[in-house]
Amino acid sequence: MNDLLSTQIFWLAITFVVFEGADRLSVRSGRHPLCHPVLLAAPVLIAALLLTGTSYKTYTDATQVLGFLLGPAVVGLAVPIWRQRALICRLAVPIALALGAGALTAIISAVGIMALFGAPSEVLASIAPRATTTPVAMEVASQLGGVPALAAVIVLLAGVVGAMTATPLFNAMKISDYRARGFALGVSAHGFGAARAFQVDATAGAFASLGMALNAVVTAALLSVMAVLL
Amino acid sequence: MTMIGAIALLFTCQLLGEIIHRLAGLPLPGSVIGMVLLICWLGLVRKERPTLEAVTGWLTAHLSIMFVPSAVGLIEEGPVLSQYGIGLAVATIISTLLTMVVGALVFRWALRWVKQDDDAGNEETEREGMGA
Repeated sequence: MNDLLSTQIFWLAITFVVFEGADRLSVRSGRHPLCHPVLLAAPVLIAALLLTGTSYKTYTDATQVLGFLLGPAVVGLAVPIWRQRALICRLAVPIALALGAGALTAIISAVGIMALFGAPSEVLASIAPRATTTPVAMEVASQLGGVPALAAVIVLLAGVVGAMTATPLFNAMKISDYRARGFALGVSAHGFGAARAFQVDATAGAFASLGMALNAVVTAALLSVMAVLL
Repeated sequence: MTMIGAIALLFTCQLLGEIIHRLAGLPLPGSVIGMVLLICWLGLVRKERPTLEAVTGWLTAHLSIMFVPSAVGLIEEGPVLSQYGIGLAVATIISTLLTMVVGALVFRWALRWVKQDDDAGNEETEREGMGA
């Protein structure tokens, strides 16, 4: 009976049931950023591992099929970028400049502040891709010698912060253009930002999705160039 | 294009991305190179692809559960979190706010610079849902 705890189906079933419960709570909260299903499900699953004395290695081996799907999902981000090509061409200059400036700001400020805290290189590598969508951040972090789990949680926090502060921040800055607001939110706070932007305005949502998808490529490319040069 | 065809296209792009990643020795992930390859493919072979859109739409809509196992990996990061947890929170919050400010200001400045400010915020755009 004890070997049941190391089977794939045991942990996949637990993960899906816990996630479904977390997702229902998230829907009930009106998709509040703080009630993101991953933020609710992860602590429950960690508790389950601790209570059953199961190692993380056993758990990831059992659930690796989920992580495998992230690769094709990242490849699939090509579709929204391609669909928005008319928009990209028409606003090529603002999009390119805001994307470059935003990506560099995100990397330099995050890594710079952690360096001030005296963090070792594996922590710096984990926070460097913090503005990209979670699967890209985990991949890039592990390529740079960072910790994927740390990258995932940092990216989730960035998403929560972006989604919760965007409206008051942009209002205080007196930026009313929904293209600028949406794009900046997508570049800084990825899918959370895009989801929040769609709640506010369809144009903001479209620009946020675009900012998220483009920044996944640009930040990953910038960081690999930096990694080769430094 | 069938469902299998769409999956084959995604897998092939990722595989080629993985090959380029290994040959070039770049830290750029194979999946991101694969994404760029798929954009090139969509540009070269122009046609409607409802099945591919359905498959990629389904994948992006369910991104969250796919990184649950990675988030659970925090179980092994206790020492790092107790030492740098506050720093990581501060850095992430400041960096996220700063990036939004810089991105929005540069976007607005560039719009004025290329004189496309007249139709501010009224672009015809397509709705697009995204996961995290």
